[in-house]
Amino acid sequence: MAATIDTGLDFFRQVLALRAYRQEILSADISNASTPGFKAVDLDFASALSAANTSSRRLPAEASTKSGRVWLVDDARQMKVPETGVPGEADSFVKYQADGEVTLDGNSVDLDEEKVTAAANAVQYEAAATFTSQTIRMLMIAITGSGSAQSGGS
Amino acid sequence: MSLFGSLAISGSGMSAESERLSAVASNIANANSAVGGGGQPYRAREVVFQAVAPQDDASDDPSSIGMAGVKVAGIVESDAPTHTVYDPSSSFADSNGNVQMPNVNPVDEMVNMISAQQDYQANLEAFNVAKTLAMRTLTI
Repeated sequence: MAATIDTGLDFFRQVLALRAYRQEILSADISNASTPGFKAVDLDFASALSAANTSSRRLPAEASTKSGRVWLVDDARQMKVPETGVPGEADSFVKYQADGEVTLDGNSVDLDEEKVTAAANAVQYEAAATFTSQTIRMLMIAITGSGSAQSGGS
Repeated sequence: MSLFGSLAISGSGMSAESERLSAVASNIANANSAVGGGGQPYRAREVVFQAVAPQDDASDDPSSIGMAGVKVAGIVESDAPTHTVYDPSSSFADSNGNVQMPNVNPVDEMVNMISAQQDYQANLEAFNVAKTLAMRTLTI
């Protein structure tokens, strides 16, 4: 059996990690809004997520051929937490924002635009968090057979 | 975790902006100080910002340029010419009765102050958003 209980949750784990990573990048842009020579960057979220998805699908397959059972934690890689907490090669999807206006001191951060992007990213993070809660609730309903049983949150 | 990284970066931004605000306050307060350090008139100070990689990151990794906090690389004194004021009664007047006054430009300082305030607020907003997201994650 290939499916494990966290198959659906793993996707949301990656979404949340990448959204948090993008939030960090946007924070860096904002905090360097007055740094001479700083060029604004952003994460290509869609590409980073699809890359993270394809790379993570490989891992359980390898683990299952070696250990036979995916859910057994007898392979160190199953417990391994990525060092940065960010899935895949997200670093390679951080790109310079090319369309920004560059000021005389070589800074290309548009503060208003960064604020808007950060707010939108925060809403999308909350959306992913809500979807995660709902997925956990669905699993709880499947386990307990009742919607009124304890849920994983709001 | 990335969200704590966001908090650290926004925190570095706030601390750098407040240092910039301190420089503005110092300049405005000393706009008429005929004597600064070393008997010379006070010179306007400016902070220089520099993007820095977080401490746990490899700072020479070019791909980590996006994950930069900010720090005050140094404080430089403006080399704009000082104002000369004719005031023979001053004890700092030279033989012609001229007194060298600081090169602080109040308009520059006000613009700098507004810019620092806006940047500080933006950092604070980003900090609060990251905090809200971290708290939201705890309730999954």
